[in-house]
Amino acid sequence: MTKRFLVYASLMIFGTFISSVAQVMLKKAAMKEYSSHVREYFNPTVIIAYIIFFGASFLGVLAYKVVPLSMGAILEATSYIYVTVFGATIFKETITKKRIIALVIILAGIVIYALG
Amino acid sequence: MVGIMKNNKICVLFFLHVLLAVYSLSGICGKLAATFEVMSFGFILCYAGLLFIYGIYALCWQQIIKRLSLTVAFANKAITVVWGIIWGYLFFDEAITLQKLIGAVMVMTGIVIYAATGDDLKENKGGTAQ
Repeated sequence: MTKRFLVYASLMIFGTFISSVAQVMLKKAAMKEYSSHVREYFNPTVIIAYIIFFGASFLGVLAYKVVPLSMGAILEATSYIYVTVFGATIFKETITKKRIIALVIILAGIVIYALG
Repeated sequence: MVGIMKNNKICVLFFLHVLLAVYSLSGICGKLAATFEVMSFGFILCYAGLLFIYGIYALCWQQIIKRLSLTVAFANKAITVVWGIIWGYLFFDEAITLQKLIGAVMVMTGIVIYAATGDDLKENKGGTAQ
């Protein structure tokens, strides 16, 4: 594994991370009441979330300059880690033992794939 | 699509997998875009294709999770790992090794276990998690 590969893979992982942040923003926005359907979609939180999604997709494409296509979906699986952390800290969801086991299996799978 | 889907579970699952297969094509667009210089015509064309697929995906996903539990929808999402490997092999000459397959199976297993431990009560109350 070269240093160049790690830099580009990190780009993709960072993109996945900010996508998860945008997901949290969408969820937050969805929990609010709005005066109209238009407001439901056109409010600052939702618009910024979609700008972040756009940025994340751009980072993903840049990463593909070095990262193989087959690794894209594998690296995207890191989103489950961020979602778990955000779920626990922001939405007060409980982290179950099974979920931690699932995350460990996902992480181990990513490392084994990357080294394969 | 909405009309055909109704509430038949197998039908919804079928549409979910068609959607996930279409979604996986966005990876091909992204990888193709990356072969061009950033912001060149080819890059913008492929990137636009990717965004178009994302848009369709977002719209259809919303319809699917209205008719399917989030747990089932997310567990099935693991299939995108398989599509990535297939498209990479077919279009970009990416090697498939035994170790990579083992890693991929582990990632997919992890995703399915993660989805299966979802708290359905919370999901119903909170709407969509992702």
